[in-house]
Parts: sequence; structure tokens; C-alpha cells
Amino acid sequence: MDTLNELLGGFATAMTWQNLIFAFLGCLLGTIIGVLPGVGPVAGVALLIPLTLNLDPAGSIIMLCAIFYGTQYGGTITSVLLNTPGEASSAITTIDGYAMTKIGRAGAALTLAAVGSFIGGTVATIGLVAAAKPLGELGLLVGPPEFFALMVVGISLLVALAGKSMVKALISGALGLLISMVGIDPVAGAPRFTFGMDRLLDGVSFVAVIVGVFGLSEILSYRKNAETPLVHAPGFRSLFPSRTEWRRSAPAMARGTGVGFGLGLIPGMTGSVSSLLSYASEKKFSHFRHELGRGAVEGVAGPETANNAHANAALIPLFTLGIPASPTIAVLMGAFLQQGLTPGPSLFTEHSEIAWAIIASLFIGNVLLLLLNVPLVGLWTSILRVPTPILTALILLFMVIGAYTINFSVFDVFVMIGFGLLGLALRNLDIPLAPMVLTLVLGPLMERSLRESLEISQGDFSVFLNRPISAVLIALGVLIICSPLLKFRKPKALTEDPEA
Amino acid sequence: MTQSPARARPARSVLAGIAAFGALGAYVLVSSVSLGLWTSLGPGPGLFPFAMGAVLASMSVLWLLQELKRPSAAGEGADGGLVLAVVGSLVLLAALLDLLGFQLGMFLFLMYHLKIRGKRGWLSALLTALAGSVGAFYAFNYGLNVALPVSSIPVLNLIGL
Repeated sequence: MDTLNELLGGFATAMTWQNLIFAFLGCLLGTIIGVLPGVGPVAGVALLIPLTLNLDPAGSIIMLCAIFYGTQYGGTITSVLLNTPGEASSAITTIDGYAMTKIGRAGAALTLAAVGSFIGGTVATIGLVAAAKPLGELGLLVGPPEFFALMVVGISLLVALAGKSMVKALISGALGLLISMVGIDPVAGAPRFTFGMDRLLDGVSFVAVIVGVFGLSEILSYRKNAETPLVHAPGFRSLFPSRTEWRRSAPAMARGTGVGFGLGLIPGMTGSVSSLLSYASEKKFSHFRHELGRGAVEGVAGPETANNAHANAALIPLFTLGIPASPTIAVLMGAFLQQGLTPGPSLFTEHSEIAWAIIASLFIGNVLLLLLNVPLVGLWTSILRVPTPILTALILLFMVIGAYTINFSVFDVFVMIGFGLLGLALRNLDIPLAPMVLTLVLGPLMERSLRESLEISQGDFSVFLNRPISAVLIALGVLIICSPLLKFRKPKALTEDPEA
Repeated sequence: MTQSPARARPARSVLAGIAAFGALGAYVLVSSVSLGLWTSLGPGPGLFPFAMGAVLASMSVLWLLQELKRPSAAGEGADGGLVLAVVGSLVLLAALLDLLGFQLGMFLFLMYHLKIRGKRGWLSALLTALAGSVGAFYAFNYGLNVALPVSSIPVLNLIGL
């Protein structure tokens, strides 16, 4: 009952006209980012953080969350109409989505994807409501050793799943941790790796680093002769799926919700993994599996439901334990921290009103996206007709504004440029970027919990093994990292996750 | 990166990358010691960086061994002209931002990318550049209360740039 009252209180805050506008703007911008091939959700959310810096914490996070799950919707449009995923988790949708376009069912594919996304997102948000209190209370019992161990597991999972080489993933993770250590040491107050520069005493700006590594490096790695694609929006009538298409999609949506929700709870699993596994489950369980690959509705409804269920479920570890489950959530966590909100169990005790307003806004955002996406598909496709030079120039404009406005300093623009070049080098060396963004956010928290643990135990490292929860978690982390030595084989699909 | 059995040696760019990460790891290892690994109160400011430096250095060695055993193909290089144009123009913009102000600096930046690099028509380039510079300045300054820089040159400042 308490939970319901708090959720209703959250709705009261989320439904003020200001917050509704923020949610609407977030959905709009998120869809545009999702539609644009080349700007992923990580860079997109980071790019738009400066827009929200002057807003109150609730409005700011409501808008950023809406941007985040809006990208999941937007990515579908290009997958279906252009055979080009707007973002990684919609990649698998290209197979049947584009095949449906070729047989004149693009409109139905887009509607089913939007409805599936709405169902997946809403069910996962209900899961968040149910889990928030009990997990949050459990989280309050977690001490520094358990918190450190939990982060070790999260990072190990991401490292293990990111890309083809664990060596390269570890390099990426270590780089992120090192960057996060620039500035004043949080315990002793000593400057570290500042090279005598006063501007680095506060550390390297998280937003500038993320925009550089993910956004600028993406533009720098564009290939020559990128042409504006030819795209035709489906007519209004074709947006309505037939009764058979609805009937066939329902079980796929149910399976997609289960897969996305379950995997969203696991740190390190990205939305792409959920949509890939959902497609795999359709291949195994669907009555029409023989039609997959040739324009089967299950191939669109399942993965699209799964990636939105994943996106919303991935907020559960963030809200309850303070652990970001994916790179985009890590950027979102950075935004929480910039607003003075620490995600985790204390969020519900110290900022309960804001936490529930954000959760309530997830329900509102899902409805807004459904209303925005299906009828306005023509508008979204027209964005794809904007010539590449104009899009590139405008994206660069937002990057400069984004980097500058963090501290109103040109120094951060130079930081962004430097990290853009680093991102380009990492891409060329085939080093995954995902572990870096996660460790960049978790670095300070991880170091603090390690040092607090060792201070409690007076320097005895066995503190991590003497406490049962942390011992199990550390063992799990070690097992994950050592899995290649034990010759556990990853599914091929996981090793090729483009989001990683 | 696809494996290339025909290659006998690791690609230069890969070796350069390994060397850079190895050197960074070694630098962090040495610097961390001077920061202090342990204090009377417990772990010092250098302990965590020391561990990360060790990871970076050891992974670089491991990567080198992997490359020597089975060299991977060099990644497809970026378009050098594009990198130079984007990075050069961004550096110039950042360097002149406080002097010229956001509106003029961004207008010139956008015109370069739209007209010269993008080969757009004059009207399309001018309209987009004006919207992106003057439009964005007013939208951010007055709509979002986010102050973008104005020119430090008195004449330009006087005319609102």
C-alpha cells in the first residue's frame, strides 16, 4: 500500500505541466537520436545532458530517461525502412522488418514494434515498482565490501561480454578507471594525475569524455561518400496490422518481455543481447519459425518488445543498488550524480519524491512514445532525408555546446576533442568502448568502497572473503573473468554485440 | 578484426597502440608509488591507480604476445582528410571562442562545414549556419538560461556578438 501511495505521489509530480513537457521533449529528442544512424544512445544521452543542467533534478532526470528509452523506439524506424539500424539493439529487426517493407507491410511492422515496445516497457516498469522497495531495503544492508564486490561482478560481466578479446576489454576498463582518478583523491585529498593543471583538480569532465569518445569519434570514423538514403514513409492506412498479424505477434511480445526483463536485470547485458536472444527464442518456439527471415511479424515484435523491456528493467539495478547495467545507464547515472542524486538504496530514503516521480514518468513516457511514434512515422522518416553534411555540422554544433556548458569553459571543448581522437584510436584498434564508460562512472565509487572496506578491516584484504555475500560475489567475478581459461564458449551473437 | 594467416608481423598501428598502452601503464605504476600505496590509516591514494597501472601494463604485454603469435589485420584507417578537417576546425573554434564569441565563431565553423566541405548551396548553408549560431545562442541564453560566450572584442560585443 505504501508503494502504491508513493507511486501515486510520483504521478502527481510527474504530471505537472513542466514535467510533462520535459517527458515529451525527451521522447521527441530520443526518437530523433534513435532514427539518426551513427549517433548511438550513449552519445545521444551524453550530448543532451547539458540541456538539462539548469533544470530541477526531477525534470532533468525525467527528460534524460525519456531520451534514453525514446532511442529504443527510434532505432526501429531505420531498421524497418532502410535496413540500417538506428542503434545497436534494433539491428536484428532489420532482418524481418526490412523484409516486411519489401512486401509492403512496413506500416504494420512499425505499429507492432511500437505496441510491443510499449508493452515491454510498461511491464518492466511495473517490475521496477514491485522491486524498488524490497531491493532498496536489501541494498541498505549492503556494506562497502559487498558494494565493491557487486561492482566487480558488474564490470566483470561487461568486460566478459564486450567484444572478442577480453584483453582489450580489460584495457578499456582500466583506461576508464584511470581517467576517473584524475583530480583530488576522495579520501586523502591529494591531487592525482593533474600534471600541475588547476583545471584538472576537479577531474576530467565526464560529459566531455563521453561525448568525445562516443560521439566525436563516430563522426571522425565516417567513411567517404556517405549518401543521404532514399526513404518512403508508409501511408496511414498501412499502419494497421491485420488480425492475423496481431494474433501472431502476441506470443512473441510475451516472450520478448520475459527475455528483455530477465536480461535487463543483469549488469553487463546490453539491449542488443536481449533482442538477439529474443530472436533466437522465436526461432525455437514460434509456430511460424520457418517464416523468420522472410518478413515474419514475430521477428519484429519479439526483439522490439525485448529491447524496451530490457531498457526499463535495466533501471532496476540502478535505482535499487546504484549499479548501471549498461553503458547508456552508466551515462544516465553520471547525470544523476551531476544533479546531486546518488542512485541506489539511499535514493528512496533521501530523495523519495524524486525517485517515484521518475518511475511514474516511465509509464507516462511509454504512452507518449506510443502516441508519438505510430502516427508521426512520416515526420521521423523525413529526418532521414536531411543531407549528411547538414546533420554532421549540427551534431558538431551540439557537441561543442554540450562540452562548453558543463563548466562554461573552453577547456572542456579541448578535452572533448582529445577524447574524440582517443575514441577513434580505440575504434581502429578494435578496443570496445563500453567497459570504459562503465568504469569511468563506477571508478570513484569503486575506489571509495575498496578503501572504506580496507580501513574497516585495518588493511586486511580478507574482509572481502570473510563476509558471505561479498565472498560469493568476488568468486563470481573471478569466475567470469577466468571463463575463457575454463573454455566456456560465448554464443557467437554475444561476441558480435555492436553496442559493446 | 579478422585473423589474417598470411601476415607474418603485427601491423604497425597495432604495435604502436600496444606500446602506448604499455607506456601509460608503466607511467601510472611509477607515479602511483610516489602518491603513496599505504598510509597509517590504510590504503593510500596510489593503491587503486597502482592496480590499474598493473592491469594496463600486463594486458599490453599479453596483447603483444597474442599479436606475435597470431597477428591481427590492421583496422580500416579513418579518412585522414575528414579527421584533419573536423579536428582542425574544432581546435580553431575552441581557441577563438572567447575572442570571437559563440555566434560569430560558430557561424564561421558551420559555414566551413556546410559550404566548403559539404558543398551545400549558399542559401541552405547561410540559413543553417545562422540558425545554428545566432538561433542556438538566443535559444540557449534566453530559453534555457545557459550562457554561451560573447566576444571579448569590444566592437563585436557592442553589436551583440
